[in-house]
Amino acid sequence: MGPVLDVVLSTGFLAAILGGSTPYILAALGGLLAERAGVPDIALEGSMLAAACTGALVAGYSGSVWAGAACGIVAGALLALLLGVLHLYLGADAIIAGIGLNLLAAGATAYTVYALLGDKGGTSRLHSGALPSVRLPLIEDVPGLGAVLSGQNVLTWAALATTPAVAWLLYRARFGFHLRAVGEHPEAARSVGIHVHRVQFRALALSGALAGAAGVFLSMGAVSFFVTGMTAGRGYIALAAVFLGALRPWGVFLAALGFGAAEALAVQLGNLDIPSQLVSAIPYVFTLLALAFFAWRRRSAARTAAAPTSPPALPTLETT
Amino acid sequence: MTSTLEPAAEQRRRPETQGRREFLATRRRTVVVELTMTVLTVAVAVLIAFLVVLATGKDATGALNALLTGPLERTPRIGRWLADATTLSLLGLSVAIPFRARQISLGAEGQVYAGALASGLVAINLPLPPVAAVLVPLGAAALAGGALGAVPGVMKARLGANEIVATLMLNAVVVRVFDYLLTDHLKAPGSTAVQSSPVRPDSALPLLSDFFGVPLDQANIGLFGMLAVAAAVWFLLARTPLGYRIRITGSNPDFARFGGVDVPRTIEWSFVIGGALAGLAGAHLALGIYGGLQPDMAGGLAFEGIVVALLGRNNPVGVVAAALLYSYLRIGGDVMEQQTDVGSEAVTIIQAVIVLLVTARALPELVKRYLARREAR
Repeated sequence: MGPVLDVVLSTGFLAAILGGSTPYILAALGGLLAERAGVPDIALEGSMLAAACTGALVAGYSGSVWAGAACGIVAGALLALLLGVLHLYLGADAIIAGIGLNLLAAGATAYTVYALLGDKGGTSRLHSGALPSVRLPLIEDVPGLGAVLSGQNVLTWAALATTPAVAWLLYRARFGFHLRAVGEHPEAARSVGIHVHRVQFRALALSGALAGAAGVFLSMGAVSFFVTGMTAGRGYIALAAVFLGALRPWGVFLAALGFGAAEALAVQLGNLDIPSQLVSAIPYVFTLLALAFFAWRRRSAARTAAAPTSPPALPTLETT
Repeated sequence: MTSTLEPAAEQRRRPETQGRREFLATRRRTVVVELTMTVLTVAVAVLIAFLVVLATGKDATGALNALLTGPLERTPRIGRWLADATTLSLLGLSVAIPFRARQISLGAEGQVYAGALASGLVAINLPLPPVAAVLVPLGAAALAGGALGAVPGVMKARLGANEIVATLMLNAVVVRVFDYLLTDHLKAPGSTAVQSSPVRPDSALPLLSDFFGVPLDQANIGLFGMLAVAAAVWFLLARTPLGYRIRITGSNPDFARFGGVDVPRTIEWSFVIGGALAGLAGAHLALGIYGGLQPDMAGGLAFEGIVVALLGRNNPVGVVAAALLYSYLRIGGDVMEQQTDVGSEAVTIIQAVIVLLVTARALPELVKRYLARREAR
């Protein structure tokens, strides 16, 4: 147990958690916005992949990482808007259409990379560069804290800042109020004059943009090139974090942090003699149990709420 | 007596036969419409991919030619097509059954690995008499897949947990456990590559090339097994009480409940049967295609089962036809990549466009309205 504790308590591991969680936090917060607006965004995975590819390609050809990041985020948002068109205007099932868009992103990114660079693996021969990391002048010198916080990628800080921003948007801003109203009861929202589809489109655009930022982090933050299929199911995991976080911004943040921590732990324990596959499976087992537990509690709460109303009805019938 | 009875009997029968005739005529029309729509969908998807390839300045006509005629040019390619269609059909059927109960199970991936693992473990380690050597691993695969299907089934039916998240999480767990067992415990001794020892010769699915005397690559007797399974699924859905309950639960759960159907149990069974079929697909990979266990042996096949189920309208006959069509494109994509400078990913684009076109239910209506408006002008 000693070596494991050494790993867990090291500053390098804590820094790795923040880095590993970044794509999950960004994408899951996006998924949260779409989910709360009543459109499950299964296309998170596709948005991430499209953004990761677009970002690296644009940065590589234009020479500007910021242009790449911006184009990547736009690509993610566009894919989510396409989901909106399919679901809201063309009557497509949101989940099936989302899976279709993920396939489209997988095919289109791999095809584009191969057509442009003649390499099936990715864009490693393109020098696209990475977004800068942020050095914190004073905190840097604090032992422990400096190693964890300083030198994190700019998108990691963006992810940390996005959580309170999304919480503010959902609960304090007018748009968030409309968004939740649309998600909870579209007809009621429509009856008070809220443009339901417009709100849902905006929520999807934000969702895709955040997933896009997550994708950009993968190809321009953690590493500086795009690998085909590099999201490796992270979009689906982010979706699970949305539900595991009970559809609340800080809950989603914690769930995403948990997935990031498990991923970082699996990488770090790979050096020791512990099967990393089993370690990385832990958060998924935990999610399954949590999913079952929350569903069970919701159901039993619904049952106790419904129970007092039905039994008294019978005695009154008998006495009269 | 007879003179008064006869017309009455005739009268009783006539509206019935009339109704039946109308029913059959409607159904025939529906089948024709659906077939036309399916062919049209695939054609549009291929056309879009063709335009994409053309736009990127590649040899588009050569690519299209290779894609559409390549698979039939040599018998080994035909064999690969049939073997691929076998796995895909089983996966499509496994997705179609929960779909019919209006459940979206994305758990095929995990179930495939569970089925492959169970059949592989039996087929590598257990000496069995000839026929049992094939049947016992297949049974183990179906059991493993079904057991894995039961988990999200029970969670959804009894607790109301989101089946999409549950199946995705279960996939992630099973794939990792499979990876761990393969690298740490099942790796063939003395082998440098991560793969298991081959299955015992008696357990390998007999190759079709041994029967027909032409080289058919990996195509094996699983093809006929798959056809039997598809027939069984058709019988289950169309002719058994459970199939009726699955269909009625899918088309109207409230009506099903009022009609006395145990909806949670029906949902559970749809997941279990779907899981068992995906397990069989895993067994086909382990015993037929690879003859052992390999990392990433399912590839992206599990999600392609969803495409096939969707394209086949969740109807067993339709699913098999869709799988044959879809595998043809997959093999054609490989040929295309070998013969031209166009990557096989173009086929993934075709596949995605198919999904999006099929699921956009309002699209035909919009096109019809647009055409009507143009005519009116």
